[in-house]
Amino acid sequence: MDLDHLKQILDLVREHELSEFEVEQGGLRLKIRKDRGGAYAPVTMAPAPGAHAAPSHAVAPTPVAIPPVPDDEIELAVLKSPIVGTFYRCAEPGAPPFVDVGTVVKKGQVLCIVEAMKLMNEIDSEYDGEIVKVYVENGQPVQYGERLFAIRAK
Amino acid sequence: MQTANPLPADFAAALGRVPLGRLTGPVVYYAEIGSTNDVAATLAAEGNREGSIVIADLQTAGRGRRGHRWFSPQGAGLYVSVVLAPRLATERPDRATALLTLTAGVAIAEGVQDATGLAPTIKWPNDVLVGRRKLAGILAEGVHGHASAAVHSVVLGFGLNVLSAAYPTDLADRVTSLESELGRSVDRAHVCAATLSALATRYDDLLAARYDAILDAWRARAPRARHARVHWDTPGGPQAGTTVGIDDDGALLVKTGRGVERIVSGEVRWE
Repeated sequence: MDLDHLKQILDLVREHELSEFEVEQGGLRLKIRKDRGGAYAPVTMAPAPGAHAAPSHAVAPTPVAIPPVPDDEIELAVLKSPIVGTFYRCAEPGAPPFVDVGTVVKKGQVLCIVEAMKLMNEIDSEYDGEIVKVYVENGQPVQYGERLFAIRAK
Repeated sequence: MQTANPLPADFAAALGRVPLGRLTGPVVYYAEIGSTNDVAATLAAEGNREGSIVIADLQTAGRGRRGHRWFSPQGAGLYVSVVLAPRLATERPDRATALLTLTAGVAIAEGVQDATGLAPTIKWPNDVLVGRRKLAGILAEGVHGHASAAVHSVVLGFGLNVLSAAYPTDLADRVTSLESELGRSVDRAHVCAATLSALATRYDDLLAARYDAILDAWRARAPRARHARVHWDTPGGPQAGTTVGIDDDGALLVKTGRGVERIVSGEVRWE
């Protein structure tokens, strides 16, 4: 299954507003589930039992729609993971998190680290604003395109 | 930034004798510094600093990953960081970024072998070992301009134990040094130049998208990337399996009762 194929599937799931969808092909199982808020939850991909090869592609971006906030200038931005890896909220174990809900951040400020292949990627804020939600717990694996933070841009 | 010191004559001479490819930025030397990676990150943030080299004789705050301290006493090891830009790869720069730390592990092993004759192995993804003891460690830190952009540049730091004084004695069953392995004294400047030269060569491979050459060299030095029992933790609990190699993006493949898992991050422990 390549990335284009996956995008087609995601588009179909969205188009038909399916709440849950699962397909198995070539030893690969793909499951997509809509969460209660109406957004699609992170895609999980796992090799099916007895499969001999692992998926060679990273999973596709989760198509999260940014909820529009009507009739004022408040803008909510959802920052997503640029890579597959492990999410760290602090520089090292025991250290305070880079940011928390309520933290006012500046564009370029480090919000978290996502580690992949032992490369520690600092993820910076794209906006001046306030953190209103942290989607992932420290030390958890994240997929490409998975939501990390919601920021109320100022 | 702290004022640098003049590069010692033996290091200048050794670096002058080897090809350094794209690692031709300034060589910034400190007799004592907090962390070479921090200096290199400051340089990288200025932009256009690909190929810069930072060397210290002593680090007061040498770091490994996730808060691990890298013991860095004066003159006992090599403490070096370079600024690299895998985004410049001619094909699939995302793959170059994923393979960067494996590339560095290969290069450091090759540089050590070239300078000393020792033949280090690699533990996934990038620990450089002799036998089962760690000889060198790598800390790679990337900065995204913003979340959706590719990694702008990577600070690649490495610590290489030259004297046994480079590590605390209580780690002696897990860590080793060039001099303990060779039973003789070693010219640090020569090893430094050889490892940086090997890194420059493999970095050229990476930017030219010669990924197969890098992966072949990595696999040849990583016997335990196949047929070895490993353990790791997941949100669903501890997992175990048998390694079956790495894929073309460097991910570790592990066969479990449920199939083959593809591991790209987190801690994997070998039995």
